Order: sequence, then C-alpha cells, then structure tokens
Amino acid sequence: MILLRLISWPYTRKHLLRSLLTAAGIMLGVAVFVGMHTANQSVLFAFHRTVNRIAGSTELQVAATEIGFPEEVLEIVQAAPEVRVAVPVIEAVADSGRQGQGNLLILGVDMTGDRSLRDYDFESADESIVDDPLVFLAQPDSIIVTGEFAGRNGLRLNSRLPLLTMEGEKQFTVRGIMRSGGLTSAFGGNLAIMDIYAAQKVFGRGRMFDRIDLAVRDGVSLEQCQAALRKLLGPGYQVETPASRGQQFESILRVYAFAIRINSLFALFIGMFIIYNSFAIAVTERRPEIGILRALGATRGQIRTLFLGESAILGLLGSAAGLALGNLIARGIAGQIAGMLDAMYGLAERAQEVATDPRLAAAALAVGVVTSMIAALIPARNAARVDPVRALQKGKYQVLSAGENRARRLAALALGVVSASLLLWNRNAWMFYGGYILLVASAVLLTPALAVWLSRCLRPVLRRLLPVEGALAADSLIQAPRRTSATVAALMLSLAMVVGLGGVARASVGSLHEWIDTHLNPDLFVTAAENLNDRSFRFPADMAGELQRVTGIAEIQMVRTARVPFRRTPVLIVSTDIQVLERRVRARVIAGDETEMHRLAALGEGLIVSENLASLHNLRLGESVEIAAPAGLLRLPIVGVTRDYSDQQGAILMDRAVYVRYWKDPTVNVFRVYLEPGASPEQVKRMILERFAGHRRLFVLSNLELRAYVMRIADQWFALSYVQIAVALLIAVLGIVNTLTVSITDRRRELGVLQAVGGLRRQIRGTVWMEALAIGLLGLILGLALGAVNLLYVLEVGRHEGGLILDYQYPYAMALLLLPAILGAALLAALAPAESAVRGSLVEALEYE
Amino acid sequence: MIELAKVWKQFDGKRQVTALEDVNLAIERGEMVSIVGPSGSGKSTLLNLIGGLDRPSSGEIRIDSRALGGLADDELTRVRREKIGFVFQFFNLLPTLSCLENVALPLHLQGWPRKKAEARSRELLELVQLGARLEHLPEELSGGERQRVAIARALALDPPILLADEPTGNLDTANGQEILRLVHDLHRRLQATILVVTHDATVAESCPRTIALRDGRVVGDHRR
Repeated sequence: MILLRLISWPYTRKHLLRSLLTAAGIMLGVAVFVGMHTANQSVLFAFHRTVNRIAGSTELQVAATEIGFPEEVLEIVQAAPEVRVAVPVIEAVADSGRQGQGNLLILGVDMTGDRSLRDYDFESADESIVDDPLVFLAQPDSIIVTGEFAGRNGLRLNSRLPLLTMEGEKQFTVRGIMRSGGLTSAFGGNLAIMDIYAAQKVFGRGRMFDRIDLAVRDGVSLEQCQAALRKLLGPGYQVETPASRGQQFESILRVYAFAIRINSLFALFIGMFIIYNSFAIAVTERRPEIGILRALGATRGQIRTLFLGESAILGLLGSAAGLALGNLIARGIAGQIAGMLDAMYGLAERAQEVATDPRLAAAALAVGVVTSMIAALIPARNAARVDPVRALQKGKYQVLSAGENRARRLAALALGVVSASLLLWNRNAWMFYGGYILLVASAVLLTPALAVWLSRCLRPVLRRLLPVEGALAADSLIQAPRRTSATVAALMLSLAMVVGLGGVARASVGSLHEWIDTHLNPDLFVTAAENLNDRSFRFPADMAGELQRVTGIAEIQMVRTARVPFRRTPVLIVSTDIQVLERRVRARVIAGDETEMHRLAALGEGLIVSENLASLHNLRLGESVEIAAPAGLLRLPIVGVTRDYSDQQGAILMDRAVYVRYWKDPTVNVFRVYLEPGASPEQVKRMILERFAGHRRLFVLSNLELRAYVMRIADQWFALSYVQIAVALLIAVLGIVNTLTVSITDRRRELGVLQAVGGLRRQIRGTVWMEALAIGLLGLILGLALGAVNLLYVLEVGRHEGGLILDYQYPYAMALLLLPAILGAALLAALAPAESAVRGSLVEALEYE
Repeated sequence: MIELAKVWKQFDGKRQVTALEDVNLAIERGEMVSIVGPSGSGKSTLLNLIGGLDRPSSGEIRIDSRALGGLADDELTRVRREKIGFVFQFFNLLPTLSCLENVALPLHLQGWPRKKAEARSRELLELVQLGARLEHLPEELSGGERQRVAIARALALDPPILLADEPTGNLDTANGQEILRLVHDLHRRLQATILVVTHDATVAESCPRTIALRDGRVVGDHRR
C-alpha cells in the first residue's frame, strides 16, 4: 500500500488526464454491459410485473397460444372438479388516444366471477354499476381505469374516453377509478378494465376468449389440476402458471439478449485494450523509476503487484463510473427496446422504472476490476522484467528482438491454422467459437510484424508527401513496433467488428429488399392495427366481401398470422389462401419444387417453412412436423422451404382452411389487396377509408409505406453498427493519443536534434501528425482485411443463433466511409501530442542520453 | 568479502562485445577500493556484476562466500537489498519523493513499519548533514546535496558493501570533494567495504587500493 502512495499516486496525479482516459476504457465497457443488461432486465421486469399484477390470485391459466379459443371451452374448464373458479379474459393493447400517453392495456373480464381472482380497489366508482356485475354487463360502454391514468388525463367518474374499436371510434364511460397499488401498477398504470363481451367487439374476437384464469379447488395441488386440465383439453391448449408467460417472453428476447451480450463483451474487450495500452505506456515511461526500485532491492513480485494494484484501483474507479453511466444509458434505451419489441413482435410494455439489480451492479464492479487487472497483466509482467541496468541508461525503448518476433509469428501461424481447421470441421458451437477466439488471437499476435511490414511499404508514400516528416514518422513505426502494435491491434479488431456488422446490414438490406419485392408485393395492405405485428385487433372474414366491392380491386388475399409454440419456441404461423399466393408471389425456393409445394399446401397436405426455421430446428424437406392446436395435433410434412423474413424465430405457411379447421379461428389480420391494371393505389386507399370510416377500424398501407415500415424495423437492429463505428473512433483517438505520447518521450532526443539542426516547429508537428495518420492507416488496412474474415464468422453466428441466412456481401461503401473518419480521428488525436513535442527544453532533450 | 573468479561478460548484439575478460579479484571486508580505466574499459559493468544488477556470461562471483551465480532473481534481489548499497553518478532519486521518502524507499521494500522507516531515514539524513532538508524534493537540492541523499539511501539497510559508480562525476570540484570526504568518513565510521568507480585521479588516489581496467581486463592492482 505504501508503494502505491509513494510511487503510483505521484505518477497518476502527474498524468491525471491520461489516467482518467484509461479508467474511461473500463467505464465504457462496464457502462455498455450494465446499461444494456439493465434496460433488458427492466423491460422483462415490467413484463413480469404486468403479468403478475394482472394475474392477481390466479393459479393457472388456460390458453391456446395468442389465437384464443371458442367460448365453449370455458364451460368445460369450469366443470372440471379440480377447478374452484374459472373466469374468461381478453387481454389486448390499444392506443389510448391521448397525446403522449402511449398504449392502454385493456382487460376484458366477466365481472360475475372476476372479482374472486382480482382485487379492484376503487378510489371512486359508480357503485350501482360496478358492484352489480350484471348491471356492468348491461352497460357495455363501461370502462374502469387506474387512478394514475385518470389523474394524468383529467378523467373523473362518468368522463368519456374514446377508443378506436373494430367498429370505429366508440365512446366509453368511466364507471370506476382504481386506487394505486397492486393491479393498477401493471403496464405502468395504463390499464383499463371492460366487460369481456364488449372487449370481444372492440377487438374483433368474435366468440373467442384469449384465456381462462382459474383458481384450484382446496385440497387439490397445482400439478394435479394442471395434469387434469391438459388431459381434458388436449395438446392444443396450454395450462400454465402466470409466471411461465414471462419465460415465453424471454425466449422471444433470446436473439436480442445474445446481441446485447456480444456488444457488452466487445465493449469490455476494447476497454481491456485501452487499459493494456495505457499500462504498457506507463511501464515505458516509468522504466527509470522501475530500474531504481529494482536496484534498491524491489523484487519482481513487488513491481508486478504495484502495477496490478494500480490497475485494480483504476478498474474500480472506472467500474463505479460505468455503473452510473450504465444506469443513464439504460434509461435511454429501455424505451427503445420496448418500442422495438412492440414493432417486431407486437408486444407492448412500458419500462418506466429502470433500476440496476444489485447483483448485476456487483458483477459489473467485479468484472471491471478483473478485466482491468487482466489487461494490465502483461505490462505488469514486463515491468517486473525490466532490466535495471538498461533502465538506468537513458535511451531507446527495447525493440522487438528478432527472436521474439519470430516466436510470435510462429505462434500466430499455428493459431491461424488451428482456427481455420476448426472452422472447416465445424461440428458444434465449442469448435466454432473456439476457432473464432483463436482467429482473433492469431491476428493480434501477427499485428506487430504486419505493422512493421506495412510501415515499410508506407515509407516511400509518406516520404513522398513530406520528405523529412514522413520518413521520420515511418521510421518511428518501423523501429518500435511494440509501441504502436497495441493501438493498431485495438483499431484492427474494432474495425473488423464494424465490417462484420456492416456486411450483415448490407446483406440483410439486400435480402430484405428482394423478399419485399417478391413477398410483399400487394398494392395495398388493409390492417387492423397500425403496427403490423400487433394482432390485438382482427377483422371478421366476411369483411373480404365488402372490400371486394371497392372499385379498382382485382383480388384480395386474406392473411391470418399468429404465434404458436413449436418445439418450445414461439414461431409465426402464416395462413392464407395458397392458390392466390401461388398466383401472386414468386418466393425464393430453397428446397422443393415451387409448383408442387403450392399444390400440396393448397390441398392441406403439407406445410411450407421458412429457411431460418429449417436452419434453427434442423428441418428437412419431407420431414413431418407436429403443431399442437385446439382441435388436435396438426401433423403434416414439409413440402417446401423458402427464404422468408416474416419472423426471426421462423415462419410456417399453411393454407387458411387448415388453420381455421385446427384453430377454430376465422378472423383475419391483414387483407393483401391487388389492384386492377391502371388503378391508382392512392385513389383506392381513399375509397376504402371512405367506405369503412366510422364503422370499421382499419388502416391502409401502400406498398411503399409497408416497405418503409419494414426497413425501419431493420434499421433499429442495424443501429448497433453505428454504435460500433463510434466505439472504433473513440479507440482510434484514445489509442493514438497514448501511443504518440510514448513515441514523443522515446524520441525526445531525435526531435531535439531535428530542432537543433533547423527543423521548424511546424515540421516537428508534421512528423507527429504523419505518425498518427500512419497508425490510423495501419489499423484501417488490417481492420478492413480482418473484417473480410470476421464477416464470415458473424454471418455464421447470425445463422446459428438467429437462423438468419444471408449472402456474403462485403460493405464497400461503409469501408470507404471509414477512411476519412479514422484518419480524421487520428489527426484529432495527434493535436495535443504534437504540441507537446515542440514544447520543453531543447537543451534537456539533447542532454537526454 | 567480494570474490571474482574467471569472470567474463559478453554482450550480444549485431556484434558480440566483450566487456570483461577473465577477471579475477578478491576484495577484503572493510577495504576501500577505487576502480579506474578509460571509457569502455568495463568499470561500470564490473560494478553491476558485483552488485547483482547483471549476471556474468561465465565465471563466479561470491559475496560473503555466497555464490551469486545459482541464485534465482528474487534471491539475488534480496542479497542486493541487504548487502549492497548503490550510489549512481546521476543520483537516481525519485523526483516526486521528498528526501525522507527517497531514503526510506529500501526500508519500505524490506517491509519496515512506516514509523520505524522514517526514524531510520531521519537518522541517515542527519548523518549526511541534511537534517534540515527532510521534506525537500530533489529538484530543490544542489548536486552535492542530492548525492548525499543518494548516499544516505544506499546506507538505509546498513549494507556491508557500498558500490559507487562515478559518485563525483556529475558534481563540481567543491561538491565532489565534499562527497569524497563523506565517503571516507563513512568508511572510517561504518567499516563498510567500498568500491568506487572513477575517472578522477584525486578520487582514485585517495583510496588505499586501486584496480586498473583496460579493454575489460585487470591491468593493475595497486595498494598504497
């Protein structure tokens, strides 16, 4: 401890800014780690809380996925001897219609029995209506809201609340306002209760319920009741505890959570590099000090402990700052995550409270400290190995000896060969990820040698630009590769990640456009909700006839999409008239014959699955798949595999008749409208809106609008690429500042001689700028090259984890953009070091050796 | 006290350089010896080897009958810490530490409690007549004063051997003589074995024994 005070603290205080920048490396990594996990956990927590609050004293819930089931099932469940009370529920999300208030979660309940499961603690209520459930039933415009919602919107008893229902806008009357607490905290307070039969009309449920909430009879265990109901209802129904809904939600988030983990790890890894670089520089600068300590009798262990102690303290400070920053980040992105989930999956949730789990905070602190210490291990070891004799001789930094360089190159080659082998023989995740790590290690080990070689190649170019400054800059890199290699390596890895993500984005955009062109080719889309993934509202099938009468419409295709469990994963069922589909859509067929697959699917004798579903579940053409449905187990062979980006978890296309038969659900989500030749989409859209205005809730999207909507969702995912670019730029600046600082320290005599023989200050600055540009260029060249290989791995990860199958497309446009960005960052980084190079005593510099 | 037998030291670089060639020496306890020779004769290399800062390419070095050759780095370091005090030409004080803290550094490395280390440091600084400069930083001292702090530091753990590499090389004549007087005084009082590498004839002649080196070889060993 005393050595930390005597030796470390004076150095830290003298280089406070650099120390802060070093801690910033860990802070960044920890902040991303904490922020993303906290935001994700907050959204999950909000969802769990909503589920739990709404559940009340419900012990089990019966559902048939999100599709629902006919009303008759309720009687079957109520009649089961194991059930004490069973009540139907419709749960859906609607736009509150209030500026800035977002969505409203509406519970449709049967007041006759629901109050035995849920506690409605009224702040104020029209007792005559609320207390008597039959009266409540007779007032179908009754609605109960929470105190929070009422307070925010100035609602009182008997206030009117308009809601856009399937039959157009309807006015509802507030008959009850619930006190805060318990049920009302679900969905962030934006909760409303209405009669279940009114809810059926509002959301177009027909004669279907979403689920049944029930309590178990005394003396019967939960498991007994669950088993009995499952036997009674069959495999098409799920009988689960309320908590299991949260688990399903988590499985949907799996891909996103994976992306968060990768980003967090990457940010921490980059933080490690920054720490490593800073400590490597510190060891260089403090070599004389280390030499003195060694000469006075400090053991290697004491020197090593000193530097590791410094790194631990910096790590702790950085982690603490990272925790605070992470919380801020979490607040910012929790809303974005919730919005993305809403856009992609129709799952609306309000993550208002964002608080870091103490366990996550403790883990973040530990991770930050450990990461910092690991990063400082090699510099600490090098400090311990400082030769006191040479350290006490003021002079040049130890160059990479030929022997040491050879060993690194050989190790890099060996690791590269093993990595390539693991990729070729890729049998399982361990081999794949092991190979990936070895590739990165190989690239890092090769960096010094490649940097020297590239510097030699760059020398004539730099010399041409500025004869003296350029040559000196290149020579500085050639003679001291270890000084620059850490920065070059960090930049290389960061840019390789940018290229990887950019390549995925480019391929995705291309593939998405192709899919949109082929699949999403109707002229208009008539939907029940603004968000295409929101299936709360549904049309009755007979609306197709009414639509067909609009002038200009040639053909209408009814589509019903729904998420159902398939081998424990929620996948998307797309049901439509396959014959119409065949006429209109030219899918990209991956397996099977296009004509034959459509023929069999139209007859109800087969299913067509998406390529990502087939990849994620190892499905083959001809393989029989089973899907549990309310009417029984649907068992059909796969007759075709197509490229389909409908859903990240995968999609199953079936004929509408099969769907209606097995799920007893005749409703429709979307009408795909094809116009007659010459008909104007804008005109037909207007006519549709006019025809249904006031008595039908619907939205009409043109093909262009839908295309823009799909690309907007994709953009949210690819926003990660931009974050990566920002990280790469930050690395460039931090790393180059540090590297140049050491370079100037090492070259003080050389720069002094340059000035002594007549070099102007601007020429001295010029050599520093040239060195910075050269470092940026080295990182760029190596990063773009490694990125080409990294893209292969990233595509493979996307396929493994997300079932995303994309073509290899190098992001040339992005690579071109990176050139001015990185070189600009390098010049910016060189400003302060260049000034420092021209300041200071010339005499001192010349006496330096 | 100090024995060298057939000691060679070669440095490998683009060309192999022989810094010391077949050096055989014996220095008794309590002797004060000057080592002279032109630039590049191997004087500093000899001192570094005796002080355990470097290892010979071949041959044996013994300190107090203990061979340094087979010792692991930590062991060698402990021998250096406990048995040898180093005084450098350029002082090599830590610029951010006060005189008191600089002198206490070897004691802290040895694990002495803070108060005890400070007391010992005070005592040593009094010994070298810098009792009034305890809290001063090196940059606030003259060259001679800095060298006195360095000498005090070298004596912190009461080593039996003191190695001084050009202790007056960076000082003016007056300060140099003052330092020389101090070294002699310490030699008389502490009966330490002292080796002084020097270019200065005055310094060399003030020592009872002078060893001359040329081109890495011992070419003279003169006792007065």
